[in-house]
Amino acid sequence: MATPVPVLRLPKGPDPNSRGFDPNSPRFIALCRTSISSSAASDTDSEQLQKEQHARSVLREGFLRCLLSMTNKKVQFQMYENVKVEATFGASDIDVLNFQVSDLHTPIGVQKEALIRCQDVISFTFDV
Amino acid sequence: MMQCSWPLMGPLRWLHYVNKEVKVRAGKGEEHRGWLLSVDPVSASVVLVSFGEAVAVRVVMGHAVEAVEVLRAADDETAKRLRSVFLPPPSPCLDPKELRQRRDALRRWLQENRIPVEEEGEELKVAGVLTIAAPYSGQDCRSSNQIILDRIQRLVGIQDCTNQRLPL
Repeated sequence: MATPVPVLRLPKGPDPNSRGFDPNSPRFIALCRTSISSSAASDTDSEQLQKEQHARSVLREGFLRCLLSMTNKKVQFQMYENVKVEATFGASDIDVLNFQVSDLHTPIGVQKEALIRCQDVISFTFDV
Repeated sequence: MMQCSWPLMGPLRWLHYVNKEVKVRAGKGEEHRGWLLSVDPVSASVVLVSFGEAVAVRVVMGHAVEAVEVLRAADDETAKRLRSVFLPPPSPCLDPKELRQRRDALRRWLQENRIPVEEEGEELKVAGVLTIAAPYSGQDCRSSNQIILDRIQRLVGIQDCTNQRLPL
């Protein structure tokens, strides 16, 4: 039987307010020039902003579930310059800038672990 | 080079494309057809699903989208099918007595591990920031704090393995 592990104090988690959606965070400014911020027009109308936020969370949840179901599956990436590669999907970062993959099949061999830059990808496909 | 306005449309306009069959032009002359399941608000990437022998999913990166054309709307059955594409299979229903036993066992286990836990109706509230709903497995933990969520899920997982319960 597993012995209980005493936990004296749970640590404070990371700040939940600056996770990829805050356009003023240093990470966003450094990396996410192409990421999309919320529209300026909605600042003036709180009801509109509420609707937009609801839409945003519904859409993001759908996308995150898609990424979740992709884990450990074979994915074919269609990239620029007519490059097609296949790999086993690992994870994405929060801003969808990089994908971590394993067993990346490239024209010059199989890369055990790799990071794919999303800017280089046109589309990717997998079977559920 | 003209920049496509797709990434600038915003969540409210993207929402109108959900559950529609669309044709997406991307990159250098690529064209993809499928049911639009979602658009990522962070990257404007389009999730397309096609039902064939297998359920095939294609995601077109937002920065590569040239044009999106709506072909038709999904009927109720297709919409229902689309909603369930990425959802986990439904967990089997347990009777209230067994649920209560599981809840009590889990509460005792957390208390043994010096974790503050309270019963809130049918759910367990952990440290005021995490909720565990029926049937009280690692997948039923909800919290906005990632570190606490991870720790509690691991603890629940240990208990599940010890009791040789099948993962739900």
